[in-house]
Amino acid sequence: MENVIEVNKLEKVYGTQTALADVNFQVKKGETFGFLGPSGSGKTTTIKILTGQLRPTSGDAQVFGHSNSALNHQSYRQRIGVLTDNSGLYQRLSIYDNLKLYCDLYHVPVQRIGEVLQLVNLTDEKKKLVSKLSKGMLQRVLLARTLLHEPDLLFLDEPTSALDPANSKQIHEGLRRLNENGTTVFLTTHDMSEAETLCDRVAFLHKGKIKLLDEPKNLRRKYSDSTITLELKDGREIVLPGGSEGADVVYQYLSTNQVVSIHSNEPTLGDIFVDITGRELV
Amino acid sequence: MSLSLKRIYAIFLKDLKDLSKNLYVSSIVILPLFFAIMYSRIDQPTIEIHYLIINLTLVSITATIQCAVIAEEKEKNTLRGLMLSPATVLEILTGKSFVSLVLTAVTILVCMNITGYMPENTVFVLIAILLSCVFYLGLGTLLGLVTRTVVEASVIIMPFLFLFGFGSQLQGLTDQYSILAFVNYMPNTQLIEFAHKVEDGLGFADLWSHLLIILAWGVAIGILTIGVYRKREMDE
Repeated sequence: MENVIEVNKLEKVYGTQTALADVNFQVKKGETFGFLGPSGSGKTTTIKILTGQLRPTSGDAQVFGHSNSALNHQSYRQRIGVLTDNSGLYQRLSIYDNLKLYCDLYHVPVQRIGEVLQLVNLTDEKKKLVSKLSKGMLQRVLLARTLLHEPDLLFLDEPTSALDPANSKQIHEGLRRLNENGTTVFLTTHDMSEAETLCDRVAFLHKGKIKLLDEPKNLRRKYSDSTITLELKDGREIVLPGGSEGADVVYQYLSTNQVVSIHSNEPTLGDIFVDITGRELV
Repeated sequence: MSLSLKRIYAIFLKDLKDLSKNLYVSSIVILPLFFAIMYSRIDQPTIEIHYLIINLTLVSITATIQCAVIAEEKEKNTLRGLMLSPATVLEILTGKSFVSLVLTAVTILVCMNITGYMPENTVFVLIAILLSCVFYLGLGTLLGLVTRTVVEASVIIMPFLFLFGFGSQLQGLTDQYSILAFVNYMPNTQLIEFAHKVEDGLGFADLWSHLLIILAWGVAIGILTIGVYRKREMDE
């Protein structure tokens, strides 16, 4: 499958501080790619380089075949949508007026406003002034604005960080639908459940370097200790080794009707991140 | 490079709606109107007085409002959204200049009406004021781009408000203090000299040098402003 993003030996240095060092990865068309790491790991720097807001110190970042120097071209910007923590809205205008401006900037019919507001569950609020919105609602309006022109590639920097679980779920469903329709998503997050839910592949970024890159299920398998936990009716939990040795014991408990639940002990992405980097994803 | 009128109009319309709810803007508009009303009490105001009000309008409305509008876009992180959209630098800056331009035109017309100024040649004066507008829009945009907040912008514009609003008064001191010779070449001073010549009934052959100096100011500030804008596009 065609690569939408190709990053080779990317490096960004601010003075004496290295924000990115020898970063290499590709994102395929239609993929949801998760860039995971704690604050200060280089996630936002990567997004800024890929969206033409920052020049790399060295290395190459190509998106849709546009090289570093062409990432501020109109034709490129028409194809991407960017939601970062420094995106803003016009406080004295309504949600509708804010989105209307962007419809005109992207040459999109205003009917599209209704569709994106439905996606972020704000249809009834469109006349509300932005200054009256909660943080979660602001984030949803920003996301709606990002989706107005149906971009081929979405850059989302912590898109659900300010949202409650119900709204996060709705946004996730919307993003999955967009992804099914062929939109490529580049997502940065430190929410591991969000990454597991949405991402086809994830990269762990730590101190400006990619430490791991694979599909979440492959990572979980690779870092699993292959044990099984049985929860029994008498309240005990038994951890068993995988393979035939454990299978005999499982059969024994199952046949005597003592089992409440059986779990394979795969680590979460958060556990793997701690294993690899020695620090939490916060 | 092709310009999208739809984008320019959209930015203008957005600013118009936004600024109509902005108290800061309404309070700025009062300043030249106040001066116009005050000087209308004088019998037969001189060209200097008419152009004190016009220059004050240019710097306090054209430049100051432009500066505030750009600074607010920066402060609220909305300029970044425009920069990341397919709109070009010219579309964004043109769109964002229209509200200041419209407010300037309306204020100058109202002030001229109050003070009873009727130029000898309206077309010449219109050309000179429009060229001056280019300079003041560039100045406002530039100062808005180099500041981070509206409060900072309202402070940084102050010396320019005095220099270009009242600076022509210094012309009388240029013989005594040669260091002030630059005052003779400032766009506000040039506008006044231009207006004198228009009132004397002189033609284009005697007027073009003033227009050229005002245009040079506009071009210089335009180049500087686009350079700074390009730098601000990058988040270095």
